[in-house]
Amino acid sequence: MYGNAYIDPNDKAAMMLAGEDPQKLAEFEARIARGEKIEPKDWMPKEYRKQLIRMIEQHGHSEIIGALPEGTWITRAPGFKRKLALMAKVQDEVGHAQLLYSAAETLGKSREAMINDLITGKSKYSNVFNYPAYTWADACIIAWLIDAGAIINQVANAKGSYGPYCRALDRICTEESFHLKYGHDNVVTLATGTPKQRELVQAALTRWWPPIMHFFGPSDKISNHTEILMKWKVKMATNDDMRQQFLNMYVPKIWDLGLTLPDPNLKKNEEGKWEYTEPDWEEFKRVINGGGPCNAERLAVRRNAEERGRWVREALNTADSKYMVPLA
Amino acid sequence: MNTEAIKELLYKMADDLLIIGHRNSEWTGLGPILEEDISFSSMAQDKIGQAQALYVLLHDLGEQEPDTVAFTRNANQFHNAQLVELPNGEYDFSLMRHFLYDHADQLRFEALANSTYEPLAKVARKVKGELKYHVFHANTWVTKLGLANQESHDKMQHALNHAWNYALGLFEPSANEAALIDESIFIGENTLQEQWLQNITPVLLKAGLTIPNPSTWNPIVGGRIGIHTAHLEPLVEEMSEVFRYDPTAEW
Amino acid sequence: MIKSLDPRVNRAAIEEENSIEPLKDLDQWETYEVFHQKRRGDQHMHVGIVHAPNAEMALIFGKEQFGRRGLSVNIWVVKTRDVFTTDYEDSDIFETVPEKQYREAGGYKVMDKINKFKKGL
Repeated sequence: MYGNAYIDPNDKAAMMLAGEDPQKLAEFEARIARGEKIEPKDWMPKEYRKQLIRMIEQHGHSEIIGALPEGTWITRAPGFKRKLALMAKVQDEVGHAQLLYSAAETLGKSREAMINDLITGKSKYSNVFNYPAYTWADACIIAWLIDAGAIINQVANAKGSYGPYCRALDRICTEESFHLKYGHDNVVTLATGTPKQRELVQAALTRWWPPIMHFFGPSDKISNHTEILMKWKVKMATNDDMRQQFLNMYVPKIWDLGLTLPDPNLKKNEEGKWEYTEPDWEEFKRVINGGGPCNAERLAVRRNAEERGRWVREALNTADSKYMVPLA
Repeated sequence: MNTEAIKELLYKMADDLLIIGHRNSEWTGLGPILEEDISFSSMAQDKIGQAQALYVLLHDLGEQEPDTVAFTRNANQFHNAQLVELPNGEYDFSLMRHFLYDHADQLRFEALANSTYEPLAKVARKVKGELKYHVFHANTWVTKLGLANQESHDKMQHALNHAWNYALGLFEPSANEAALIDESIFIGENTLQEQWLQNITPVLLKAGLTIPNPSTWNPIVGGRIGIHTAHLEPLVEEMSEVFRYDPTAEW
Repeated sequence: MIKSLDPRVNRAAIEEENSIEPLKDLDQWETYEVFHQKRRGDQHMHVGIVHAPNAEMALIFGKEQFGRRGLSVNIWVVKTRDVFTTDYEDSDIFETVPEKQYREAGGYKVMDKINKFKKGL
């Protein structure tokens, strides 16, 4: 699941192209304009490499951290069908992290370095995973709506310019379609089930709506910086466009189930655009910077997992092994 | 066909598979490295899927629905060996248990592929490939870690020592043993244990690990008749927490 | 101690301030390129990489990461460092001049001659 890297709005566009060879830059941009993909050993602007590493790495972190909120319910999923499916879904998130880290590695950052940046808090991941999954229904809402948001993001990014990232996303999107169906099936089952189940799913939806509205990030400031990233096909759609697409696809489906969304201003206007109460972006920033209900836990759990596995990894390391950047 | 004997066999197998699958699934998302996390999770899914297939056979023999059987019984109604209910501990123990259990499981299903109870023989033939992978996985890990360095060797040896008597408990004989053998439904626990020892001994030897001295062997039994460690009850409660939240519901 | 909604986390008894030594180089092992064959008769296709400490484990990992859904009959793995590649910079070596028609099927057009020959009969 879950792309949508957080791009620091303070990066200055003017700095981006400093020192780049104009002829190589022109060839690079022409290649992208022709719709060709960039491959790992191609010449690329430093800023392109930096932004892609940051974006793919954050996406990878979001997968491995994203395995935790749903993993909260892995030992408690009700019945064989749900138990097996949730195991397979959380497993897929781990698999996606593997694919994404591998893609980022082709740009020259090792997996060790990425994990180190994750567990020290230096590198971000999708903010939604800093919220807890209180009940089984929370895990179902995540599986449906967070994965739905992720698909919108990932389908857009799969048309980007960097070959290894696109290939990883193609594989990921195929698996996400299972997640989305699984999540929808779960939410429908709860919403059309017993009164206790309806109550569970409504409460979960109400809890998750603010983080879902945060999911695509604040409106982009259309700076030269974002323009260049869009020209390079690093950023494929604006945050607002993706949020509109999400609302358009899923709000009617939520309403179909007779569920209520906690935003009295949410409606589609005459021009076909969704209006909503502006999400609390201060809260978003506070959580991204470590102040959310689960930030500390998520990182502590990852550190614990890395530490418990260390002896296993160290034992099998052989003296003659040598790292080489993966090819593709 | 001796239905009671078949049911007893199915229950202990299914409960073993469900509980070890459940335990192994606890590693999903928390494994020692991403790639192994994925492999271990797949095997946990296989186990739970195999358990489900056996509960379906029980249902065909008049027992309740698989979900009801798996998610509403109390701990003392489970027939799994105590080995599978023990907490995961660290990866050494989880791997060693996986190794000891999966060798037994593979041989059990191999024998059952020729069972005169055709529905079970059919399931046994179907899961052959899954089990082959599980055993390949277990053998590779145990051999590599047994030989890698002093720390990993010691951990694996310690895990083997700790798991051993519990593993012998997998072969706890049942009252219906003779009937199952007479009707060629199953080869019986004694024969299975002999085959198991034959299979694991060379692998452990290759891994530089030592099977505890036979004079210390003391199978920890009771699981088959509902006697369990203190670890099973919380496991079962946790597993069925949501299911029991609204027992009238479809989840 | 973290008090979590996840019972697995509670069992692990994790301190919140559990800072750890950074992972060292090669902590995650080296990489193997994975080639996957869907059906007998198909080509093996490159599908990605796995990090693994040896070839057996690379196969074990590759099987699940790239073969757990859909069809599979075979997997190959090879250490990334054992693969030799051309450079994209040199991809112009694959550009061929049109005169190379002599080695293309389309370079041989006999119907004109046959038709002419038939007319002349």
